[in-house]
Amino acid sequence: MTSDDGPAPVPQPRTLEDHVAPALVSGDAFFRAPYHPATWRAYAALGVGWIWHLTAGLTLWILVLVSAGVVPALGVGLPLLAVCLVAARWFGAAERARIAIQTGVTIPAPYPVPVARSLWSRLWAPIRDSRAWAATLYAFLAMFVSIAFFTIATALAAAAIAAVAFVAVGRSSALAEWSGLSWPATVVGALAGAVVLVWAASALAQYGSYLMVRLATILLGPSAADVAHARAAAAEQETRVAEAAAHTARERAVVLTESRTAAVSAADTERRRIERDLHDGAQQRLVALGVELGVARRLADKDPEHAVAALELAHREIKETLAELRDLVRGIHPAVLSDRGLDAALSALAGRSPVPVRVEVVGDLAPAGSAAQAAAYFVVAEALTNVAKHAGADSVWVRASLVPDDHPLRLRVAVCDDGRGGAEPSPGSGLEGLRGRVAALDGTFELDSPPGKGTRLTVEVPCAS
Amino acid sequence: MRIVIAEDSVLLLDGLTRLLAAEGHTVTGHGTADSLVRALSTSDAELPDLLVTDVRMPPSHTDEGLRAAVHLRSLHPDLPVLVLSQYVEQSYATELFARGARGLGYVLKDRVADVDEFLDAVARVSGGGTVVDPEVVTQIIARHPGSDLDVLTRREREVLELMAEGRSNAAIADRLVVGLAAVEKHVTNILNKLGLPPAPDDHRRVLAVLRWLDQNGSR
Repeated sequence: MTSDDGPAPVPQPRTLEDHVAPALVSGDAFFRAPYHPATWRAYAALGVGWIWHLTAGLTLWILVLVSAGVVPALGVGLPLLAVCLVAARWFGAAERARIAIQTGVTIPAPYPVPVARSLWSRLWAPIRDSRAWAATLYAFLAMFVSIAFFTIATALAAAAIAAVAFVAVGRSSALAEWSGLSWPATVVGALAGAVVLVWAASALAQYGSYLMVRLATILLGPSAADVAHARAAAAEQETRVAEAAAHTARERAVVLTESRTAAVSAADTERRRIERDLHDGAQQRLVALGVELGVARRLADKDPEHAVAALELAHREIKETLAELRDLVRGIHPAVLSDRGLDAALSALAGRSPVPVRVEVVGDLAPAGSAAQAAAYFVVAEALTNVAKHAGADSVWVRASLVPDDHPLRLRVAVCDDGRGGAEPSPGSGLEGLRGRVAALDGTFELDSPPGKGTRLTVEVPCAS
Repeated sequence: MRIVIAEDSVLLLDGLTRLLAAEGHTVTGHGTADSLVRALSTSDAELPDLLVTDVRMPPSHTDEGLRAAVHLRSLHPDLPVLVLSQYVEQSYATELFARGARGLGYVLKDRVADVDEFLDAVARVSGGGTVVDPEVVTQIIARHPGSDLDVLTRREREVLELMAEGRSNAAIADRLVVGLAAVEKHVTNILNKLGLPPAPDDHRRVLAVLRWLDQNGSR
């Protein structure tokens, strides 16, 4: 058996005393005790209680004692004891339910006995169940509490009624004469006695009910060890949740740091590319153009024929330089994208691709916003360049759509080709640059390129809200 | 004159070749920095009269040409080299002139379009002179704290800039439209004021002036 002297779990906001026996803790409630609802509840609880305890409770603890007594005759005693202790738990459950209904005090159920596997452990489990023994002890103790308090309180109340009755009808009775007091003094004494008796009965009823509930709380609720265990488990769970949250936050921080680094390096790579393109392209062409014009000027007088040839060369170079500048500018940011949106820009990309491209745009992409559209455009541009360079494909399929039912909104582009596959983002490659760019936008990058089966690149970028 | 060109832009190489051919020179070879270093590194290699090299070239597109020029000059100190650079920054020029200035030129690539000046630079460098691009000189002087150049008169400063470009007294006189004697007087004054010893030839003078500007310049 366990002795539970730890704090009993009382879920009510008020204390048990306030609720079950207010007359004992509050002067006002004591003054109103005879007609206080707690008094009537206490009477009812004790009244039903003593009958229940004297029948079911008495039967239970006598059976437990008897079966425990015959345990030495192992074959009979043990199973009987086990059955009785299982019944003790049922009794406890019924008692908790009765107390909840009659006094409004909810006592939490004790933790269930773990389900055992073997027959032997199944037999032993109820016997080792300390809460079943506690319920048996409750059946024994509560019986005396409920009988004693109900009897005394009822007797006191009956005595009060008798005193009042005596005042009403006892003027010429032998009792009045025997007391030897004058009639008025007898009346005052009897009435005063009745008042004291009524208050005493009420307070005793409340106290009895309180004792019964308190006993139930200690013996029928979860044991202190169980409560401590549950608290520890809850705390552990809380720690686990907090740790998981911290871990997620750390991972997120790592991802963000990585994507920020990728963004910086993508921007740097981009600037280098533009510088190189300008340097090795337009600038070289312009220098060469200067040379041609210089030659033409020097030859103008002595060799007009060669001078004209140089001028023609210069003219052709100017046109090529312009075309190159146009490509370069488009590579920095295509005007059609800002003017006409992603749909038109993708069509323009498709038109320039040496491999036939089919473009499919699902719905209106305008809600995606310009940053996401630009990202999608460059993904497709880079992917198409890769397809033309490496894939050896006959056709390409480009699809752009908003991801349905996704909050926040995401823009998805997919580029599929029927080329040789086997593409992978190696360091310094266009695909790696793309991945950095997409990561910088907190997007997802998915490359599926089995050798010989074409390449499918799917990118999703979140849209600015 | 036999000229070798290191230039990776086919267009420009083509233009330069025809320009130099029209002036009566022969372009005897061309290639990238690597191939030139390989061809000219051996001691018995037949050296051209002038090597014209770009700075930015494959494979890394940074300063291959400059490194090739410095390397070849250390092997053949008398090989005239004219470096065409995209970089106005002084550090590249300083690297090139670290071991002497005779028969060395560092001009901005854009200068090539100014055909007369380019041909002038070709002639001066192949003749053992020194050419430093005016823009590089301007930048070096611009970085200079004004105070220590305040000792110079305005005309002396002009002369200093032309000296730094590697021009001879006669060329300076020509450029400023003054007499040779006047230029010689300015030069003596400048060298005195800056505390530089009188230098017998132009390229040593350039080096002295550039070093003085470099050491006294702000970084």
